[in-house]
Amino acid sequence: MTTVLGTMAGMKLAVLRHSMSGQKAGLVATGGVLGLVLAGGTLFTAFQGGDLLAAAYAVWMLGWILGPVFSGGGDETLRPEYFTLLGLPPRRLAAGLLAGAFVGVAPAVNLLALTGLVVFGVRQSPAAALVALPAMILQLAIFVLLSRVAVAALGIALRSRLGAIGTGLVNGAILAALGQVWVFAIALGQTGGITPGASAVLRYLPSGWGLAAVEGAGTGRWDRTGLALGAMAVLVALLLAAWAALLTRRASAARASARGRRPMTASTASGAVVAKELRTWSRDLVRTHQLTFALAYGVFFAAAPLLLGLDVMLAWAGPVAVLMAAAMTAGVYAVDGTALWLTLMVPAAADVRGRQRAWLLVVGPPVVALSLALTAVTGGPWPPVLAVTAALLGGGAGIVPLISVYALVPGTDPHRRGGNPLRVSEDDGALTGMAYAVLALVALTGAPAAVVAVMYGWPGVAVGVATGVLCWWGFGLLAQRRLHGRGPELLQMMRTGKRPPSGQGGWVRIDELPKREQIITAVCWSVGAIPLFPQGIVAGFLKAQESETRSWFLALHLPEAFQWPVIVFMVLLGLGIYGLGLWIPYRHRRRAVPEAS
Amino acid sequence: MTPALEIIGLSKTFGEKVAVDHVDLAVPQGSFYGLVGQNGAGKTTTLSMAVGLLRPDGGSARIFGADVWSDPSGAKSLVGVLPDGMAMPERLTGREVLTYLGLLRGLSKEIVAERAEELLSVLELDEAEKTLVIEYSTGMRKKIGLAIALLHAPRLLVLDEPFEAVDPVSAATIKTILRGFVAGGGSIVLSSHVMALVEQLCDHVGVIDKGRVAAAGTLEQVRGGRSLEDTFVGLVGSADTGTKELSWLSR
Repeated sequence: MTTVLGTMAGMKLAVLRHSMSGQKAGLVATGGVLGLVLAGGTLFTAFQGGDLLAAAYAVWMLGWILGPVFSGGGDETLRPEYFTLLGLPPRRLAAGLLAGAFVGVAPAVNLLALTGLVVFGVRQSPAAALVALPAMILQLAIFVLLSRVAVAALGIALRSRLGAIGTGLVNGAILAALGQVWVFAIALGQTGGITPGASAVLRYLPSGWGLAAVEGAGTGRWDRTGLALGAMAVLVALLLAAWAALLTRRASAARASARGRRPMTASTASGAVVAKELRTWSRDLVRTHQLTFALAYGVFFAAAPLLLGLDVMLAWAGPVAVLMAAAMTAGVYAVDGTALWLTLMVPAAADVRGRQRAWLLVVGPPVVALSLALTAVTGGPWPPVLAVTAALLGGGAGIVPLISVYALVPGTDPHRRGGNPLRVSEDDGALTGMAYAVLALVALTGAPAAVVAVMYGWPGVAVGVATGVLCWWGFGLLAQRRLHGRGPELLQMMRTGKRPPSGQGGWVRIDELPKREQIITAVCWSVGAIPLFPQGIVAGFLKAQESETRSWFLALHLPEAFQWPVIVFMVLLGLGIYGLGLWIPYRHRRRAVPEAS
Repeated sequence: MTPALEIIGLSKTFGEKVAVDHVDLAVPQGSFYGLVGQNGAGKTTTLSMAVGLLRPDGGSARIFGADVWSDPSGAKSLVGVLPDGMAMPERLTGREVLTYLGLLRGLSKEIVAERAEELLSVLELDEAEKTLVIEYSTGMRKKIGLAIALLHAPRLLVLDEPFEAVDPVSAATIKTILRGFVAGGGSIVLSSHVMALVEQLCDHVGVIDKGRVAAAGTLEQVRGGRSLEDTFVGLVGSADTGTKELSWLSR
């Protein structure tokens, strides 16, 4: 038993060591720094009191469960498939994989956050500090195992249409709630902080059991300590057993639904592409999941402020859903893998246009229905919602194929994917990055229509339709040209799963930069949006609207005289950060090329 | 007569490795051409470049005189390709894949339906009417790939390892179809590392070794009275060909 554990932990360490180069190292470092900041924040709450610490651990637990769902199925360094031929009993395989799962940056960072238990214990009594040590380890085991079980269970759920829709709904709702966390914060504020009821619930959650044990020791209620520690040990055993059971079911890969074979009625080349894409949309359960997720996200995101009695956002469910759908489907060519060769063999066929039409046919109707119905419910304002919906639909239909061919993140061929249906690429970091880029770019395509609609009303709708059609047409044309011009290179990327180094004199890609510059660039690209969009543009928009909402917009909390200067400063700061992120690769454009191969 | 496929000085380097080094080959019209070589010799890379799926570093390829890179539409309408191990529209059934590709090629709806029906029945794929391509076995994938290659009635077939992982019954079906294609005036290039198969089917052979052409010509010219396998080992085998045994397996 111990040899299995040791070997798997050693294997994981070896893989991590070998992969700590280039882009991967930059990503790991960025993630590690962000994690350290969060862990620091958690330690800080340990000095504030038990309730806040329990809340912080609940957020960590959510992160462990949800994180992998949105980043390509989580850590798959050691895959169960690698060990199938060894004939290990499932429980032992799970234990071994668990040992491997503890090796990594995320568990290390989380362990640091969990030292908050020790800090909390030391402030109470020496005995409590002592109890914190086993509690910390058990708590980490629960987090890591919950994450693994969630991914494995989702993988099984995604084998049926109902499961795919159900998980899409739940995931969309949870992520939207996280995105609108300010609503809950204000709702809490209105009730005067964490209520006794909420405080108890936080300790009943598995994330609060470690804290409950330490608190019990601190107050001399040893029965509570024993109960909490025992419950944690039992939960670890149960999760391990559940994971082992799920692992054995993972052996066969996800299958598409086999119902509803209607004959193709298309009679043109472009119609054939639409027919193929529509069938893929309805038969690939991962795509079904993505679409349900996007719609659920839009609805719950827009509906969350209803908790505070505000219905101003409700009408915007449609536009938010378009943004999410575009981000989720950004790899529209990547998911087909090397099937691209067929497109290359028939150069005359308008593949991009067909895919655009299919995308609009799938995303358009539910989104338009949402926009119309919810705007009718809130009684307006009609022009901005309709203008932005039209603009974003066109923008999404244009940007999605464009990004997909210009910034191709090679996907794994569908018939070669492992037992984890969420993992469509070996390069999930780049895939997540692309999703964010698409989110921002598509949002930009809605900006002109939004501005005109807010200022002049109905003409904005005309602008929205016009920019939508323009984006659809123009970006589609660019994508088609790129596909024709660089098709063999794109296919080669799919085949090898590697992006080739950039050419002489061109800009270098981020993974060709020295490590330090990589980290700075990655940080620039991830934080630049905060001053530019929410703190700058959105704050300015709210101020121009003379809205009462202040939320977390710094400028709106300041005295009147400082508000506009701070907004302008934020916009400039955001642009500056993005500029730095561009300038670093630009500066390296000549010297990085010769040694890259 | 214009060769069905003419490869002139094709070269490709991946990083440090020279995969294909100035390969020249001519496939006469009406010939059944076998391209043989060890794994990694450069067969797939050569064929990919010849049909326009991989951009060469140098050289060119012509299909019935049409340059693959300067006249892609002309060249690609005359060739049917079966690449090794590439994805297909995975969430379609066999019939849907053929319908989709036929329409993409500009064939009329009626012709597509007719040919799809015939191909599916000849290749014995019509029983798996409800099965998606992603659920196909390896042998079925090869067969639907061959159907895709044949659908638009090309005059040249370029097949990369068409018999790899195909069961003997399916292999016999495929052989019959290919022989019929050549008898009807078509030309075929196939790559393989199974010498017996190439000897059985082909009338022309090209031997590729380490990215270069080691020998090319009619089957008789290349093997010169010996078996193709002996010739092949003589051409590409290293000086030290004494096969080593595994010590723990011999008693």
